[in-house]
Amino acid sequence: MVEVVVAMAMIMVVFSLAMMIFANVSQSALSVKKVQAEAILRDVLLKASQASGNTTQSFNVGDFRIEEVVQNYQDQKNLSEIELTAYDVNQNKVATFQQVIISQHE
Amino acid sequence: MLKASALYMVIIIALVIGVICSSLIASAYFYRAQYQKTARYSLLQNNLTSGINILLAGDDTTYEQEKTFSLFQTETDTVTINRIFWGLYDIGTVKAFIQKDTLYQSLSIAHTLDSGKWAVLYLPDDERPLAVSGKTRIKGNVFIPPAGVNQAYIDNQAYSGDKRLIIGKIQNSQKTLPALNAARLEKFKELLDQKHDTISILSGDTLQNSFLQATRVFSFRKKVTTLQNICLKGNIILFSDTTLTIDSTASLTNVLVFARSIIVKSGFRGQCQLYATDTIGVGQRALFSYPSCLGILRFGAITGKPTEAKINLQSNCSFSGLIFNYEKAKNVFAPLIDIGKNTKIKGQVYSQGLLEFHDQAEVDGSVFTATFLYQTSFTRYENYINNTTLDESLLSPYYLTSDLVPVATSVKKTLQWLDLK
Repeated sequence: MVEVVVAMAMIMVVFSLAMMIFANVSQSALSVKKVQAEAILRDVLLKASQASGNTTQSFNVGDFRIEEVVQNYQDQKNLSEIELTAYDVNQNKVATFQQVIISQHE
Repeated sequence: MLKASALYMVIIIALVIGVICSSLIASAYFYRAQYQKTARYSLLQNNLTSGINILLAGDDTTYEQEKTFSLFQTETDTVTINRIFWGLYDIGTVKAFIQKDTLYQSLSIAHTLDSGKWAVLYLPDDERPLAVSGKTRIKGNVFIPPAGVNQAYIDNQAYSGDKRLIIGKIQNSQKTLPALNAARLEKFKELLDQKHDTISILSGDTLQNSFLQATRVFSFRKKVTTLQNICLKGNIILFSDTTLTIDSTASLTNVLVFARSIIVKSGFRGQCQLYATDTIGVGQRALFSYPSCLGILRFGAITGKPTEAKINLQSNCSFSGLIFNYEKAKNVFAPLIDIGKNTKIKGQVYSQGLLEFHDQAEVDGSVFTATFLYQTSFTRYENYINNTTLDESLLSPYYLTSDLVPVATSVKKTLQWLDLK
């Protein structure tokens, strides 16, 4: 009888430990949302390399709101700095990209 | 029976669960490590692109020591950029790094063509018309003397090309050729004036030097040298104070060569920039791929017996890039570029003096010359072209040029991706 009780206790401890580990690993796993947002930002960045002038705009791509800020880079006439940020539906920042691009206004 | 083995069964189940949990933790760890590596690589790639864009369009165009700076004043955006003078073009190197992770890229930089100044033919106004005969075809915009263009009968051949003579817009040229870029010529002079005292021996059959490393300079001084059975690639400069022969068994890629005279043997294949002070002779069937250059550079007055600065391409050669000559002080003999029979040039020819085409020669691109020369066994004709094709429409729309020539804009683009690490 004692053996059964010990066995039960052991299996409960083992299961609860396993569940804790599983929960921790799943929680800290990479968010698909983040990967998706980064892919979208990369695509937007490719298209935005045609951008000209200082602009700030916001637009939606899928479930994300993308904020695009283009400004002059260190007062150099042919260079611009582009900063792209993706927000999810809860307005949490998911991913961000920053790059120096060649201005198209020449 | 069941009661007796319950503890054993639990231990076995616990072990199985333990193994599953360990593998779960291990796979999560490796997945996360890989993701962080990819994210870091992506960030470095982003910074590398920013550095390349700064090299291509930044205001600073000096050739200084490498500069290291933060792109956006954050901790993970440090780049190092460097610009090297490489003959007709510039070589840019960019290094992006975060702690010990580093990405390198080197590229050659060239300029786009200025459509306003670009012409298939620029012949300065020396108050003589241009004369065409045989199966000559000139297609593209031209700048020629106000005296215009005429048909001619030379070497028993009448003109048999297009009735328009020039298929394109005709504009009047100035009295002189548009000049070469003084700043780039000065850079050439600085490089030639540097002392290369040490005689270096090229050993082995292959030498490849990355543009991310220091330039390997080999000077043969007054020793007549033949490059044969050797493969040279990348950041290498060869100097010779006398004649340098390049055999068809030698392979040169992106290499700079400076010598008094250069002889390129028949059948040579390569992609290089060759500069001489006296002559460059290229044998039959040689093939120079884009971007190559043949140039005569004379910065000082000729001491002793005056010699003719000459570039000669024999028959059936194929050349892609720029052929030019430059003489600072006027010489008794005008510099000559002589293009052989059936030789095809994709790119540009710029001659401060004479330019001679032999039968079936073709330039797909642009020709700037002070005077055309056509010679038969008995007669010498000036400003005559016979059986030659000049066609700008056959040049690739992606063709980029050097800022040395007067048809380049200030817009820079990547000519070649060189080293990536």
